[in-house]
Amino acid sequence: MPVLNAEAVGKTYTQGEAPVVAVREVNLTLEKGEFVALTGPSGCGKSTLLHLCGGMDYPTRGRIWLDGTDLGSLDEGRLTRVRRRQIGFVFQSFNLLPTLTALENTALPLMLDGVSPDVARRKAAGLLERLGLLHRLGHYPQQLSGGEMQRVGIARAVCHDPLLLLADEPTGNLDSANGADVLELLQELNRSLGVTVLLATHSAEMAAAGQRVLQMVDGRIESRRPVSRPDLDDGMG
Amino acid sequence: MDLFRTFILRRLRQEKLRALATVLGVALGIAVVLAVRMANQSSVRSFETALEMVAGKTSLEIVGSGQGLREERLLELGWLEQFGQISPVIEGEARASFPSGEREWLKILGVDILRDETLRDYRLVRLADRQQSPTPREFLELLSDPGAIVLTQKLARRYGLDPGSGLDLDIGDRRETLTVRGLLLDRGPARALNGTFALMDIAAAQWFFGRLGRIDRVDLRLKPEISIDRAEAAIAARLPEGLGVQRPSRRGRQVEKMLESFHFNLTALSHIALLVGLFLIYNTVSLSVITRRREVGILRAVGVSRRQVAGLFLAEAGLLAAMGCALGILLGGWLARGALTLTGSTLDRLYIRSAAEPVSLGPEHLVLAFAVGIPLALLAALVPALEASRVPPTEAVRDADRVESRFRLSWRQRWLPAILSALAVGFACLDSVDGLPLFGYAACLSIVFAVAFLVPVVLHVSGRVGSRLTRRWTGVEALLANANLSGSIPRISISVAALAVSLSMVTAITIMVGSFRETVQYWVEQTLRADLFVAPATRSNVYSESTLSPELVRLISTSSRVAAVDPFTGFNIDYQGRRVLLGSGDFEVHLSHSGLLFKAPRQGESAMRAAIGEDAAVVSESFALRHRKAVGDRLVITTDQGQRAFRVAAVYYDYSSDQGVVVLDRSTFRKYYGDRPPRSLAVYLKEGLDPERARSEILAGLPPESRLFVHTNASLKTEVLRIFDNTFTITYALEVIAVAVAILGVATTLVTLILDRKPELALLRWAGAEQRQIRKMVVIEAALLGAVSQGLGVVAGILLSLILVFVINVQSFNWTIQFHLPAGFLLQSSLLILLATALSGIYPAYRAGRMPPAQEA
Repeated sequence: MPVLNAEAVGKTYTQGEAPVVAVREVNLTLEKGEFVALTGPSGCGKSTLLHLCGGMDYPTRGRIWLDGTDLGSLDEGRLTRVRRRQIGFVFQSFNLLPTLTALENTALPLMLDGVSPDVARRKAAGLLERLGLLHRLGHYPQQLSGGEMQRVGIARAVCHDPLLLLADEPTGNLDSANGADVLELLQELNRSLGVTVLLATHSAEMAAAGQRVLQMVDGRIESRRPVSRPDLDDGMG
Repeated sequence: MDLFRTFILRRLRQEKLRALATVLGVALGIAVVLAVRMANQSSVRSFETALEMVAGKTSLEIVGSGQGLREERLLELGWLEQFGQISPVIEGEARASFPSGEREWLKILGVDILRDETLRDYRLVRLADRQQSPTPREFLELLSDPGAIVLTQKLARRYGLDPGSGLDLDIGDRRETLTVRGLLLDRGPARALNGTFALMDIAAAQWFFGRLGRIDRVDLRLKPEISIDRAEAAIAARLPEGLGVQRPSRRGRQVEKMLESFHFNLTALSHIALLVGLFLIYNTVSLSVITRRREVGILRAVGVSRRQVAGLFLAEAGLLAAMGCALGILLGGWLARGALTLTGSTLDRLYIRSAAEPVSLGPEHLVLAFAVGIPLALLAALVPALEASRVPPTEAVRDADRVESRFRLSWRQRWLPAILSALAVGFACLDSVDGLPLFGYAACLSIVFAVAFLVPVVLHVSGRVGSRLTRRWTGVEALLANANLSGSIPRISISVAALAVSLSMVTAITIMVGSFRETVQYWVEQTLRADLFVAPATRSNVYSESTLSPELVRLISTSSRVAAVDPFTGFNIDYQGRRVLLGSGDFEVHLSHSGLLFKAPRQGESAMRAAIGEDAAVVSESFALRHRKAVGDRLVITTDQGQRAFRVAAVYYDYSSDQGVVVLDRSTFRKYYGDRPPRSLAVYLKEGLDPERARSEILAGLPPESRLFVHTNASLKTEVLRIFDNTFTITYALEVIAVAVAILGVATTLVTLILDRKPELALLRWAGAEQRQIRKMVVIEAALLGAVSQGLGVVAGILLSLILVFVINVQSFNWTIQFHLPAGFLLQSSLLILLATALSGIYPAYRAGRMPPAQEA
């Protein structure tokens, strides 16, 4: 069973009088352990598609299954629990809570899920140690560098062992050295944890890291290019 | 102006709730100030207006020692005719019961109508069969019947009375039925007191008020060619000993002086709500500046000057304050009625009959509202407006990472609370100014501001402690709530300060009132020893004397159940421009049965015993403090025999009135003032009798028309505390309003914080926080704010209460109170505040819970 399966998904926003179509007729399947890149110019609908796949919003057309569950059939509360347990999200602007320490930011999804603070903390600390941030556990975001903040963001996104890790321009706010480190980290987590990664980026260099590259234009997926593993079926229906 | 419309007005329209809460906060503050002012003015003004109307053309009045002068002294005053027309007068109050069952106080003037018509303007209503007013002679005939009374047409209409109707009047300890003989047109004295004025013949009034052989004063209308100053001097020089001359307005000034402390303290209290309202303005403008720094940066980048930026935020404050003032004026008129009801019974009992209607809203009040409200609001907004003007244009292009610098304590936050506390101590040591505790209030204000400046420090420290606790012991919601608050110290400080200040005031006043109550309770236990207390049904106050009739006193004293009776005789006299109660009791009976609490000397009882039969007085603490008299000093008092000096034998504690009491032994009193009917009796029963039964038996032995209050010891003690509690109802009402305004401030702040934290909330929702969890977090935030505010409020409140008890009370009312900490109450109120603030978080929590997760933060 694929981790994610989207069928003829569309999303239309109504802005004032005119409807704005952000995503049209997208079909997408992600298998367990895949690392897929989604590229396209800004405004092409990458972020919206990521939001829909991550259960942050409901599509206006089509259906999305995550691990066999139809996300559209879930009410708000259940969808929230799905996000909390099965999805990890890495943002371009890190989006750490300024009032929580690196450790607390990382442990947040676990704690929200009712895991005991001690257990959550221990797990988060282990993860941060692995990411080279052991000396930063008690620091607040504003005391960290950009690269460090993004590593905390990634730690938070995988702390609860999600099925699917969604990354929206995760290197957009970083210099090239830090950007390369973050990309490497995502690849490493994909390999070692087996988490499926969907990475949205407008940089061709970044996209090249994906096993498959999906090209998005005007809300549609135009082409799909297998990159390093041509043997793997892209699963598009 | 255009910038104001687009930058400020549009934003206010978007945030209607915040704007509304601020306007409401200012409105309540202004309304309370106006209401208390109007209620205060009404009591003095109605007295003065009535005084003026009843005085008519009287230019001077001849008065005796306290309760009038003996009738035969009129013979010595024939020479007054050379200055103008004179008219002897009896003035008193009685309570009328109307056929409808309603009751009202009537001011009754007893005059010799033939003489008095030249001083006052009376017109009788034309009767249906006549076209003319009655002549003075006919008027005289109307009043010649001793049971006749003339009412005003206004009153008669109100209660459906006609000439010929009977009217029941309670006076002192009895009820009399008089006959309405005529009605006065609405002019002259008839206009006074909304028509509750009545006229009697002087001889009938003497009998009616139990003042046979005495008159209250002689009114004098000067001939037009004589100047009032010269006449006053000439008359004063020629008057025999024991008589004085004064202008009628003097009584009005006395009332003002007497009520000054009472009014001053109420006014000071009313300003707390206004202060909290101003905190709200500061809060609103601060939040507006903080949440719009980036926009301000953009404005500065496109060329808006610093001055314009400051102007914009000041204009926002001005607009909100103007709306608040306008609404406050409307609310004030309405609240004034409530304030008057709440103060009315205290005034009636302790000082003067108060007005039923507050003075109406006048231009003076409009000016007051705007002249106080708007400048203060602008002042409150000045600090945040200046802060806005210092925002650099680079703020517009700052990376919007939403990563802000962490809060650091500035030197101001570290040192100002200490400096202000030192100031408070200094102020508390200073004496009153002209009898008003101005420095006491300055000390309170210093503490209030010290608390306000201390808030960021307390939030900082409590945030650290909270983070330790929440990390280990609580769920994720509490951890987030604590972290959120620690991250928003500059934003929440003001609303916490406002709430802490109003809570500290409530705490302080509760401690003060509680201490006062304990003191009074102890005093009552120690001093009220008699088994029964007898007083006339219509009570005395400073301007209305009610006495017991000699017949009733004799019947009670000779009852077989009674062991001893201590009659308290007294009346109000003028002592150094103030009304003082001059009383007399039987020191012998008092010493053997009762127990005064003496402040000085240590051996109060023996000092009192030594005063028996001497020209010596025992004075109350409030008298001693107000007039700076100590044991051994001499008081000069006007007696019927002229001025006499009395030695102060002892000072005793008395909490029945702040007016001041001078007590002489009965024999001394009789020597200088003759026999006077008593105002009350303390009755000691024979041993072993049940007071309730004895009370019923004694009452059964009295004539059925008697109108008496007979309290047993227990019921009087209850009554004293009931009156006490009544007096402080308005205090609590004012406090509750201030706290409500402050809680409104907390709710507004939370809503603003939530709007400002949209991205973080979205992030939480993304990370899997359920709506329920977000809501819980916000409610915990609200409760935490309440907890910090109340914690600070209790500490500051205890400090304030020390100033109230040991400085302000002593300086205003001249009595000492024993300090008492009501721990149970403080605990209860703390829980209540926690609950109230948590509830105030419900709406913001609802708003926060609705935030969608799908936004790039």
